[in-house]
Amino acid sequence: MAGRMLDAGLDLLDRQILDSNDTPVGKVDDLEFTLDDYGRAVVTSLLLGPLVLGPRLGGHLGAWVVGIGRRLRPDGDPEPARISIDDVREFGSTVKLRIPVEDTGTQALETWLRTKIVLRLPGATHEAQ
Amino acid sequence: MKRLLGVTLGILTAIGGFVDIGDLVANSLTGARFGMSLAWVVIVGVIGIIVFAEMAGRVATVSQRPVFDLVRERLGARTALVNLGASFFVNFLTLAAELGGVALALQLATSVNYLLWVPIVAFLLWVVIWHWKFETMERVYGLLGLALLGFIVALWKLGPDWSTLFSNATHPSVPHGEGHPTWFYYAIALFGAAMTPYEVFFFSSGAVEEKWTTKDLMTSRLNVYIGFPLGAVLSLSIMACSAVVFQPHGIQVDHLGQVGLPVSIALGKLGLAAILLGFFAATFGAAIETSMSAGYTIAQYFGWAWGKLVRPAQAARYHTVVLLTLFAATGLALSTIDPVKVTEYSIVLSAAALPLTYFPILVVANDRQFMGSHVNSKFTNGIALIYLLIILVVSVATIPLMLATKAGM
Repeated sequence: MAGRMLDAGLDLLDRQILDSNDTPVGKVDDLEFTLDDYGRAVVTSLLLGPLVLGPRLGGHLGAWVVGIGRRLRPDGDPEPARISIDDVREFGSTVKLRIPVEDTGTQALETWLRTKIVLRLPGATHEAQ
Repeated sequence: MKRLLGVTLGILTAIGGFVDIGDLVANSLTGARFGMSLAWVVIVGVIGIIVFAEMAGRVATVSQRPVFDLVRERLGARTALVNLGASFFVNFLTLAAELGGVALALQLATSVNYLLWVPIVAFLLWVVIWHWKFETMERVYGLLGLALLGFIVALWKLGPDWSTLFSNATHPSVPHGEGHPTWFYYAIALFGAAMTPYEVFFFSSGAVEEKWTTKDLMTSRLNVYIGFPLGAVLSLSIMACSAVVFQPHGIQVDHLGQVGLPVSIALGKLGLAAILLGFFAATFGAAIETSMSAGYTIAQYFGWAWGKLVRPAQAARYHTVVLLTLFAATGLALSTIDPVKVTEYSIVLSAAALPLTYFPILVVANDRQFMGSHVNSKFTNGIALIYLLIILVVSVATIPLMLATKAGM
C-alpha cells in the first residue's frame, strides 16, 4: 500500500479492522508515523487498544481509559498493540488485513478471557449459529 | 410458501416483541391515571420506532455495519465513548427492569417471592443466550408474547362505552386534578417505552449477523410496518383496560399484578393465566435483547468480535461483557429496589438518550458513499427530520420535568 495518500483522520482513524477471514480485529485507535528519507511523515503502523486510545481522547476520560487499559493487560506489556502497514490489504470503509487475527498479536485480553473464563463454561465451542 | 410463512412469523414475532415491561407498566399506569388522554403518544411513538427501526435495519443491511460501529466512526472516538456510557447505562437499567418483570410474573403465577426468582431467571437467561439460535429465541418469545392479545379480548368483554373511549383518545385533555407537567412527564414515559434504543441495537446487530441482503429488506420492512402497529394496538388495549377498570375508581397502578387485573376480571383464571404467560414471554424476550445489546454496544465501539454467529470462544470479550452485565443487573434487581420504579426511570431515560443513537443513524442513512441507491427518500427524510425535532425536544425536557414533578408524583 506504499505511497497512497489518505486523510489519516478521516480515512483511517476509528475504522474497523478485519482480518484475512473478515473476523473483527479491533479499531484503528491511533497511528504510528515514521519520517522517511525526505523528512515526510509516513504511516508505518496501526495502533490498537486503550493505551493509545486514551491519550487521543484526552482529559479525565482519556486518563480513565488508559487506567482501565493498564489493569486489563494480562501480560503487563507496556507497548501498545501494533499492526504493520505492510499487513494491510485494503483501505475502505473497513481496514482489511492480509493476515489472520491470531498472527496480529493484538488479542491478549481476548485470549486471556477465553482461556480463563469462556472455555471453562460448558458449550463454549459449540457450533457457530 | 416458505417465504410467506417467514413473513407471517416475523409479523407475529414483532407484535409479541414490541411489548416489554416498559410498555406494560407505562400503558397500564397512564390508563389508570389519565384515561385515554395520552393514547396519541403511543401513536407518535410507534411511528417513531418504525421510522428509526427501518432506517437502522436498512443501514445495517446495506453497509453490513451495526449501530455502534457507525456511531464511533461518525461522532469520533470521544463523543462516541460518552454516548456509549449513556446508552450502556440506560440499557443496563432496562435489563434490570425486565429481569424484575420476569421475576414478578413468576411471583404472580407461583406466589413465591420475586427476589427468589431473580437469580434463577438470570441463570436461565444466560443459558438461552449461550445455547439457543438467534431465530429460535426471537420466535419462541415473540410468539408466546402473543398471549398478551388477551388484553384485546378482555377489553371487548368488559364492554366499555367505545365512543367515550374513542373521543377521550381523539380529544386529549389533562384530567381534572392533574397538572400539565405530570401529564407531559408520563407522555415522555410512554414515548420512551415505545422507542427504547435497545430495540434498534438488537435489530441492526441482528441484520448484520444474519447477513441480510436487500432481498431480506422487504421482509424486515413488512415486519416493521405491520408488526409494530399491531403491537401498538396491543399497547392501546392495555391502556384502555386500565382506563375502564381503574380510572373511575381513582385507583393507581403500582404493581405488575394490577396490570393484569382487568383481564382476570373480564376473563377469569384462564385469561389471567394467558396474560401471565404473556408477561413472562415479553419480559424474558426483552431481557435477552437487552443483555445482548450490552455486549453489542461495547464490542462494536471497540471493534471486537461479537454475537452468536461465532462460537462463544471466538467472542470471549463479548460474552464476558454480557455475563458481567447480567451479574450486575441481577445485583440491582436483588437490592429490593421496586422493579416498577426501575422500569419508570428506564423508559424516561431511554427517551432522553434517544438522540444519541437516532442522529448518527439518520446521518449515515443519507450518506451515498455508504448507502448507494438506498439512501433515505425525500419522504423518509421529511418524517425522520420531524422526529429528530420531537426527540430533541423530549430529550431536553425530560430531566427538568422529572425534577419538577418529582418523577411523576
